[in-house]
Amino acid sequence: MDIFVAIWRLVYTCIYLPTDQILKWVGDLFDLSMDILFNLPAYTIEFLIVNTKPLLQVLILPGLAFILVFAIIAVWFERKFLARAMLRVGPYYCGKRSGVLQVFADFLKLFMKEIIVQEDIDFLFFAAMPVLVSTLPALALILIPFDQNWVLWNVGDLSMPMFFAIAGIAPLLPIFAGWASNNKYTFIGAFRVAYMYISAEIPLVICGASVAIMAGSFDLTKIVEAQRNMWFCIPQFIGFIIFFLGVIIEAERTPFDIPVAEVELVFGWRTEYSGILFGFTMMAEYVMFQAWALLFITMYLGGFNGPNFLGNPMYSHIFWLVTKFAILVVLIVLLRCVFPRLRIDQMLRLGWRYLTPLAVLNLVLVLAMKLLGVF
Amino acid sequence: MTEPVIEPDIMRISWGPQHPMSGQTRIIIDVDGEKVHRIIADLGFTHRGIEKILEKRTFLQGIIPMERMVMADTPNIGLGYVMAVEEVLGIEVPERANWIRSLLCEMARINSHLYAFGLQAESTGYFPAVFLWTTIDRAVILDLFEELTGARWSLNFFMPGGVHNNLPEGFEDKVVKGAQYLRKRFEDYWEAMVENAVFEMRCNDVAVLKPEDAIRLGATGPVLRGSGVAMDVRKDEPYAAYADIDFEVVTESACDVMARTKVRYREIVQSLNMMEQIACEMPKGPIRKKVPLFARSKAGEALSRVETARGELGVHMFTDGGMNPYRVKINSPTLRNMYVFERLAELDELLVADVPVVINSIDPWYLDSDR
Amino acid sequence: MVSETPEEAFVESIKATYPDAIISAEVLRPKRVSVVVKRDHFLEIAKSLKDEFGFTHPVSGGALDYPRENRMRMIYYLMNPESRFMLTYGVDLSRDDLKLSSMTSVWEAISFHEREAHEMFGISFEGHPNMVPLLLPPDWKGGHPLRKDFKGEGVEE
Repeated sequence: MDIFVAIWRLVYTCIYLPTDQILKWVGDLFDLSMDILFNLPAYTIEFLIVNTKPLLQVLILPGLAFILVFAIIAVWFERKFLARAMLRVGPYYCGKRSGVLQVFADFLKLFMKEIIVQEDIDFLFFAAMPVLVSTLPALALILIPFDQNWVLWNVGDLSMPMFFAIAGIAPLLPIFAGWASNNKYTFIGAFRVAYMYISAEIPLVICGASVAIMAGSFDLTKIVEAQRNMWFCIPQFIGFIIFFLGVIIEAERTPFDIPVAEVELVFGWRTEYSGILFGFTMMAEYVMFQAWALLFITMYLGGFNGPNFLGNPMYSHIFWLVTKFAILVVLIVLLRCVFPRLRIDQMLRLGWRYLTPLAVLNLVLVLAMKLLGVF
Repeated sequence: MTEPVIEPDIMRISWGPQHPMSGQTRIIIDVDGEKVHRIIADLGFTHRGIEKILEKRTFLQGIIPMERMVMADTPNIGLGYVMAVEEVLGIEVPERANWIRSLLCEMARINSHLYAFGLQAESTGYFPAVFLWTTIDRAVILDLFEELTGARWSLNFFMPGGVHNNLPEGFEDKVVKGAQYLRKRFEDYWEAMVENAVFEMRCNDVAVLKPEDAIRLGATGPVLRGSGVAMDVRKDEPYAAYADIDFEVVTESACDVMARTKVRYREIVQSLNMMEQIACEMPKGPIRKKVPLFARSKAGEALSRVETARGELGVHMFTDGGMNPYRVKINSPTLRNMYVFERLAELDELLVADVPVVINSIDPWYLDSDR
Repeated sequence: MVSETPEEAFVESIKATYPDAIISAEVLRPKRVSVVVKRDHFLEIAKSLKDEFGFTHPVSGGALDYPRENRMRMIYYLMNPESRFMLTYGVDLSRDDLKLSSMTSVWEAISFHEREAHEMFGISFEGHPNMVPLLLPPDWKGGHPLRKDFKGEGVEE
């Protein structure tokens, strides 16, 4: 009789209980999925309503749409502007005699091209670098405030150091790309990137520190608010000039596009890229430029400050920031038409001998103004 | 060509035929970091054997292969050959033909120097604004060539005894108008390019070539005159109509890349003045002396020297009494200047970024050095 | 008395300095002087041309082939920066013995022209620092193109 009881207990604990439990779980899962399935629209709408502002920020401003639209317009504008300076016409046929669709046509062509890769390169680095180089500055871009309440990544007091930290990784990526391409030209281009950025970063960070001292905080929103009466370009004139040069250097635009000197090194660190990877390297220049130019406007040109003539202050703030940015783009494209390229040792001399001491002088002046209570 | 062995710690870059800016040549640059350790010029990519071809052509037929040496100033090159043929055959050229020859030579000099000017700007990284401006301005001269001769680049207008055709009606006025237009454009170039701050940074004190070195190494043309040595074949032994035209030999004393650029600039301005002067003072008269189509010469030799845009071209022609020359030795200006370029890396400290700037200040045309 | 031109002065003085080494020295026309010397005295006369007579500006160098007379002539073109006339300085070599001492010890810039004469004619220059072909392609099979009896053998069929 005991044996049958023992066998029954064994079967109950080892077979019945687990299966019962499993079946209960399956039943709960089924209930849950039916619940989700029937309530999915309501969940989605609730998600969108709760997260609407961050979504708009990520997708439109200052996120994906803003960056892509700017890159497209900037490429078209630069090609037309340079062409007119050279007594040419520029893109003409695509897009009804104005060439606006030329950018899309070129992008589509690059997308369809074959990516030619050497045998003995480090493919992971090689293929990853263009993608990273064009997306990492976008990560820094999202720190810029477009309005008091419209910052995608609001880290508060850490926003300026965070920007410098992220944008400081940016020089490493062309160095990896140049090394990974296994080519003498790219190698030299990678070295030139290293020289250039080392000499340019230090004055920029010192200028950033002086702006923060004058504003009293590292938070970019508070820096913009501190410029409500007077933009910082007027008391910190030296820093303004240094940072302006720094924007051009960091964006690798002529007259400082030394790593991409087409005349000596076929295309610098971008030589071996073809197809869509090449498209990424081209876009990288514009995204980097966008990030640094917006920071420059935030720090020295009053950010989003400006008279409110559209009804909503937020709309006019966004309008003013975008307008200042457009004027800066025109100015920097004009500089490209006019000047040849500097040599690397001349650029290093500029960075170390002139920009760094001037940046320290700027810092001292700001400290003096702050201690004397002028600002 | 077998290249010398690479030394340790030196990287060898091939500024080679597959390059956006190298032209039809390969320059081997041995670098130590960014400093240039040695330059080796690997010529011969466009060697066509023109000297051998000329031995198989009659005197009149030989003008066409000879002109293909430099395409930018073909009148000067053609004139060198034609003058040698005339000396061998003992022909004297009428005066008006000489004046027409000088006119075309000066226009070709402007054409070639404008091209060199644009290349120089592009080599410093000046995104090709100036190069495109010079291309548009050269169209003025090329249109004048086309109206006169029917061809834009390789004119084939000179022949032993004179020139092919007379100038058409109103050609002199067009020449004067073209010269005035170019002179106005040239003030823009001076401000936009030569006085550009960054251009001065790239070109001042780069690749200094002292006068003793320039003479010892056999430099010629604007390279020699940019170092202060006033040697110009048009003044030393005047040919064509240069004895009657007013001009000076342009020299600069700074001896660097900027000096050579300025020499070319001032030579263009001077050639514009010469163009106007020739067009206004051209004498009337016959333009050609009859020469039989298949002329025979006596045995002898003749050496003619001509100042092309790049330097002095010599054509030494040996004849043995047949219808073809026995041997034509061409002394090419670019070959001499390429030797100077190779030695510049030892004479002065150069960086890799300077190499395109320096080589475009020497203004080589590789079809000329390779023949 | 008609004053002497620099060309005639030079011809007389070089004939006086080396009376037996010079085969011919004559003024061909204004600004052209031709000097042909014997092979043994070639180098020392070249040195004196540079040091004493002032021909410091080398222009070019080339060769000529006379197969019927079984000789070749190597010519150097030189210029004096002061008197500005062109001197063609030549030496005759027999076709069986095409050796000459290199002029790069006197005028450095003749290097390219001697390389070209070597590959085009087959003349070997002793003492040249870098005797590699200048213009011919690296896969040239042989034969000297500018000789009169060249049949196109260097080109691959």
